[in-house]
Amino acid sequence: MRRREILGAPLLQLSRKARPPIAGGYVMDGFALGHRLRDGGRFEPARQTTKVETVIAGGGMAGLSAAWWLLKKGYGDFVLLEMEPEAGGNSRFGQNEVSAYPWGAHYVPVPNRKSPLVRELFEEVGLIENGELNERHLCHSPQERLFLHGRWQYGLEPEVGLSRQGREQFARFEEMVAGRHATGKWTIPHALGEVDGKLEGQGFGAWLKENGFDAPELLWYLDYSTRDDYGSSITDTSAWAGLHYFAARDHDEKGPFCWPEGNGWLVRRLRERAAAKIRTGAVVYRVERRGAGWRVRSAAGDYEAKRVIWAAPSFLASRLVEGAPPALGFSYSPWVTANVTLERMPKMAASAELAWDNVIYGSPSLGYVVATHQSLRTHQEKSVWTWYYAMAEKTPAEARKLLLSASWEYWRDRVIEDLSRPHPDIAECVSRIDVFRNGHAMVRPTPGLLGGEGRRTLLRGLPGLYFANSDLSGISIFEEAQYRGVEAARRVLS
Amino acid sequence: MAIALFLSVLLIAACGLIYELIAGTLASYLLGDSILQFSTVIGAYLFAMGVGSWLSRFIGKGLVQRFITIELLVGLVGGFSSSILFLAFAYTQAFRFVLYLLVIIVGILVGLEIPLLMRILKDRFQFRDLVAHVLTFDYLGALGASLLFPLVLVPKLGLVRGALLFGIVNAAVALWSTWLFREQLPRHQGLRVLCALVLLALGGGMFSADYVMAAADENLYSDEIILSRQTRYQRIVLTRWKDDIRLFLSSHLQFSSRDEYRYHEGLVHPVLAALPTARRVLVLGGGDGLAAREILKYPHIEQVTLVDLDPEMTSLFSTHGYLKQLNAGSLTNPRMRVINADAFVWLEQSRDLFDAVIIDFPDPTNFSLGKLYTTAFYRLLGHHLSQSGFFVVQSTSPLFARQSFWCIVETLKAAQFQTFPYHVYVPSFGEWGFVIAGRQPWHPPVTLPAGLRYLTVSNLPTLFDFPLDMTAVTAEPNRLNDQALVRYYEEDWKKLTH
Repeated sequence: MRRREILGAPLLQLSRKARPPIAGGYVMDGFALGHRLRDGGRFEPARQTTKVETVIAGGGMAGLSAAWWLLKKGYGDFVLLEMEPEAGGNSRFGQNEVSAYPWGAHYVPVPNRKSPLVRELFEEVGLIENGELNERHLCHSPQERLFLHGRWQYGLEPEVGLSRQGREQFARFEEMVAGRHATGKWTIPHALGEVDGKLEGQGFGAWLKENGFDAPELLWYLDYSTRDDYGSSITDTSAWAGLHYFAARDHDEKGPFCWPEGNGWLVRRLRERAAAKIRTGAVVYRVERRGAGWRVRSAAGDYEAKRVIWAAPSFLASRLVEGAPPALGFSYSPWVTANVTLERMPKMAASAELAWDNVIYGSPSLGYVVATHQSLRTHQEKSVWTWYYAMAEKTPAEARKLLLSASWEYWRDRVIEDLSRPHPDIAECVSRIDVFRNGHAMVRPTPGLLGGEGRRTLLRGLPGLYFANSDLSGISIFEEAQYRGVEAARRVLS
Repeated sequence: MAIALFLSVLLIAACGLIYELIAGTLASYLLGDSILQFSTVIGAYLFAMGVGSWLSRFIGKGLVQRFITIELLVGLVGGFSSSILFLAFAYTQAFRFVLYLLVIIVGILVGLEIPLLMRILKDRFQFRDLVAHVLTFDYLGALGASLLFPLVLVPKLGLVRGALLFGIVNAAVALWSTWLFREQLPRHQGLRVLCALVLLALGGGMFSADYVMAAADENLYSDEIILSRQTRYQRIVLTRWKDDIRLFLSSHLQFSSRDEYRYHEGLVHPVLAALPTARRVLVLGGGDGLAAREILKYPHIEQVTLVDLDPEMTSLFSTHGYLKQLNAGSLTNPRMRVINADAFVWLEQSRDLFDAVIIDFPDPTNFSLGKLYTTAFYRLLGHHLSQSGFFVVQSTSPLFARQSFWCIVETLKAAQFQTFPYHVYVPSFGEWGFVIAGRQPWHPPVTLPAGLRYLTVSNLPTLFDFPLDMTAVTAEPNRLNDQALVRYYEEDWKKLTH
């Protein structure tokens, strides 16, 4: 060691206390390919053309469900083309040395009698056994907690410090919801019930005001709910969709079903069943009419098919499918998901143990879901937390601009800042933050979308081409995706 | 000559600071809140030094003699200060009073030292040199003391001996001064004898420091802590009071050696004595090996598999002399198979089948532990239980946590088992509950192993009779997705403590 170094050493120690840096980066970035498709970029022409009766374009929940149904009915003459390296869409998942974790959808509420398809699948994969729900896969206690006024409370409805007026409004809202639920018209999927056109044409925020709901805690809770389920704020959501979240579910359910990899658990099972039919890395860049049928051009080759199930987002069709109508009125919310790997747990009070879903009151984020929650261990040192942020306070276009320009470091800092409120020592616990930015994550159930002309045209489809994405339901949830996929499969079979 | 004089200033200053540090440290150590203790001790000490300096003006003649007497007093009071403080804390209610009294006495005496010394030396030096030198050595002594204290004194000597050592330094300075200032001291023989006496007293203190500490400790902790260990999973603390050894895991009492036989005989024998053909037994939890000790009393049991989360727990109870004696060396018995794993996960991965299972988990105080009491857990356990087998669950107290106890019974029923609840009185715990579960009726055993201290063939069936204040109450079963048990448990104990 030289003298200068010896003299310098104590001064070097004056610098800020160092902690190991947080690793990570962007994952599954689809912007380049998405923009190439949008801008009509060139793709290498295929060397071979395969004849197949049906092509399913898109391997998200809708496409996989269509495949599931076709195979169940003994129909095998089809391929499923998925542009990503893995099928799964919004239910894709990741895995590291600590746990599997979701990148998007991460639970399914317990299906009631009005969701026959969901029950059928759940019985097939062992989630419902002899009419009984499989306890292992139901979300373990404690399910939810909310960080409010500097402490955690169990349950997401704000209780701590709630005014009498707030309490009354919560009770009145619940009453109104219960009344609607009792009619039996509010179902999941909603196509099996009835959609109230007047409510559907109205904004949820306006409806709440009209009905005298103004308690800030209630408004926060409802806004959180629409951001969580649809990626849109109460003002951008239709009153029907805002109420549907509550009125279509049974109240005494002991759910939801959840898994470390989120709905990836279902994806695994659906992928297994259709493994022989799935082509990944097979981006569809053009669908043309070919006589009475269709020519589907993809990176995995061209297919000549009699029928096409368009299970990819509907807005892509007008750019890629010959003669497809524009998706009028459809808008999509951009999302950011961060999977945060923890080397150790932050300090926590014994009075409110870590729940599966952990929400921070007043935060623009949706909080975090704990991937290791369903573990049977009594003692856990490491974990993966999935942090969700639906960019609902911005217009989708503004949000996408931020998505394109912000660096990974920006999101790292935002995640840490957000989690630091309930967990001041979080930065010392985190070893890795992987970030997934999704420009068009979910369709937004804006007022008038369901009753609009754009959706009606898409529902009709084209000769031999059926639209199947969950965006046709105006709600991007598993049950709707499954319903749309199976409906399209039924049209193929008929 | 001059150097020798200033060296004594340095030593005096060091001693003064050491006593202050000792008082502050002891107060923080015994009372906690080190900021408050150090601030008030330093404040009181500096103030008392000021009082001492002010008082110095009233000392007129015989300066050197006074100086030496003060040195001896400082040495005596300061030297014994930590012994006095330890004993005051252990034996009296007046620790704070004694603390500040000592701080003020030592402060006043130390405050007198420097002004007196300066006046003694004022004719030998120029005033400006005197002030400069005395204060320089004063501060140097303070630096030395503040470095010695944490680096050498406390780690090597401890607080009691450290204080005494510096008391000796004070007395030595006094003795030395009788030579340094011999011209100014007409009758120094008497002073030297006094110095010798003080040195003798302090030296004696050095030898008996251990007795002082032992006497203080005995009174500080009514139960002697023989072992305290923080593992990855829990804090293990063993205490002894007379012949009673107690084990605490994360502050929860696990057993008292005086009555644990009641608990463990009650846990094991109602099931095992009713299964005369049992060969393979599983123990979940029970890393102390005490349940295993009871199981090994059956010669026909060929293998006992014990699954406990914490390897430090099972290794402690396999190696520690006294604990090994308590569990009769069960964990190192050739018939034992000890596995360190999370029980739920282990059951999920294992394919082994058992004739009996003894479940001795900690109480369901939180959702993590509550998983081990769910229908899902018992269903999984059922896959590892032979058709004619039974298992028994330690089920908290049917008296103190009545609904929790009956919730466990309800959970076992929901998992399709027949249940046979019973209870045992364990003095250190109170009434304690257990539930036997199986696929067919359980019948009381007709024989028991020899050498039991609690159970007999005739008293065993009476345990299954519940007095009115412990009979069944309605409860929801405990499920992974709805842990009613953790809620009940919290409510039950809250009722009891309010």
